[in-house]
Amino acid sequence: MSTPSPTQMSMELTLPSELGYEVIARDAVAAFARRLGISPDRLEDLKTALSEACINAIEHGNLLKPGLRVQIFCRFEEEQLIIEVVDQGVNAFAPKGEPLSITEKIAGLGSLRGMGLMLISQLCDEAGFVPRHGTGNCFRFAFYRRPTPALQR
Amino acid sequence: MSDDTTRREPVEKVIELRLPSKLGYERVAMDTASSLARRMGFHADRVESLKTAISEAVTNAIEHGNQHDAAMKVVVLLTARADELIVHVADQGRKQLDQECTTPEPKIEDAFEREDKGGWGIWLIRELMDEVEFTTAPSGGNQVRMVIHLEQ
Repeated sequence: MSTPSPTQMSMELTLPSELGYEVIARDAVAAFARRLGISPDRLEDLKTALSEACINAIEHGNLLKPGLRVQIFCRFEEEQLIIEVVDQGVNAFAPKGEPLSITEKIAGLGSLRGMGLMLISQLCDEAGFVPRHGTGNCFRFAFYRRPTPALQR
Repeated sequence: MSDDTTRREPVEKVIELRLPSKLGYERVAMDTASSLARRMGFHADRVESLKTAISEAVTNAIEHGNQHDAAMKVVVLLTARADELIVHVADQGRKQLDQECTTPEPKIEDAFEREDKGGWGIWLIRELMDEVEFTTAPSGGNQVRMVIHLEQ
């Protein structure tokens, strides 16, 4: 048998690109993460981050066009749960530079919208857009099963 | 009107889930289907029936169809229509399902005599869902199609 170790578990989810379906993605990925031993408080962070990433894909990557799809790839390797949210790339959506902090936004240095990426970067251990073969934006974020002391809150 | 944004939306919405063939991961399918069914307006008791049926179908796919080979995937398709939810569960067919097993009428008295108390899954699925059909998946594996109607 070619059984992979529990450290190589993966799953894929494909959804309609429609606001509201991020709730279903959230419940599906949370169930997967729970199986992998992600702690309950980190699960809440994961659910929030995933919802934001899906909404970005639906609104900005797929521009709310009906009939399109959002793909979510989850895999667990080297004690990290890595999640990729991929849209169909109607709009190339990769912000330049680091997201502004809430203080900078309130100070008028940027739009008061666009909090999602900043929020995700605060909630997970790694986050960012990654190059992808073929069309579509790919946003990757990761949660460590056992965060290093510096990351524990 | 040719603009994509004005094209009529399809009447059904499909969610596809590909899971590892490892016991325990049927929970992911159960939670996903439950989330969708609640959103569609199913009553709580029907959602519980759906979760049990999906659990049995995915467990069968993991244990029997894919023979616990976690590298093989179980594919769950959830198709939401206005008045029903259709669920397809397909394995990769390491072992073909004996068609005689798809219409069981297990007796509790027989189970007392057997060491293995299993074998109730397909019967349970048929009891809980409104339509059930066992077929061969496009991939060549075993597939079960289950439908639960949305009662207004």
